[in-house]
Amino acid sequence: MNPTPPPADERVEMNPGALLAALVLPGLGHVVRGERTRGLLAFSGVMLLFLTGLVAGGIDVVDRREDKFWFIGQACVGPVAFGVDWYHQNRLKVVDPNPKPPVVVGRSAVRSAYPTEGRDPKTGRPVAGGRPPNIKSIGKVNEIGMLACTLAGMLNVIVILDAGFPNRRRVRENG
Amino acid sequence: MFRLLAWRPILDPLPIDDVWYLLLLPIALGIAMAYKAVRVADLKTFPKQVLVMAVQTVLAIAGLAVGAYVVIELALPIIAPK
Repeated sequence: MNPTPPPADERVEMNPGALLAALVLPGLGHVVRGERTRGLLAFSGVMLLFLTGLVAGGIDVVDRREDKFWFIGQACVGPVAFGVDWYHQNRLKVVDPNPKPPVVVGRSAVRSAYPTEGRDPKTGRPVAGGRPPNIKSIGKVNEIGMLACTLAGMLNVIVILDAGFPNRRRVRENG
Repeated sequence: MFRLLAWRPILDPLPIDDVWYLLLLPIALGIAMAYKAVRVADLKTFPKQVLVMAVQTVLAIAGLAVGAYVVIELALPIIAPK
């Protein structure tokens, strides 16, 4: 028994260009598809969540080394999340002079600066007595900050799918 | 107040440990905006739908908080007194 194929106007089609654009920046897929307002609104929503997380918990909430599982969700925001993490790892953390084992060859051990340490911008090594480049967050602001950034990634998955499969919304409304 | 003056946005965590629950408002608004942006067919209804969803989210979370308070602080001491 062969299942009846859905009518032509109810088939879910893929828009590869919009899908790729949506992966680059939240809402860009909709803009590429010609739905500029919808794309801007989606961008605003996802970035409001991501920025709320960053402002609440500080840049410490985006950390692919120390908060690996949270970062999986945050990475769904796209290159923005990877850029924030790169800046955090390479411009704010200090190179640990006494790394804890196991030390990975070819990869410098970095950690957040202690409250009494600064950071030498040339070597990245900690400098006693300076002001830390950023402050680690703890407690509720840390939890809520990480959660908000991860929620931004989760919602961006919905935005990406909506951009890549344009007639899904229409099918759902008809059905 | 003085802690806020020394605060560096994004580099430091926001010093709002006493009123952390207010962060629910921008989170509820962000979720509603991102979700409704792809969900509504006619964008003219977007602001109203976002407002309704954000208010529903805040009320639901507040309701859960009240429920948890009633169970933990009022009901449990009666069920299992010290």
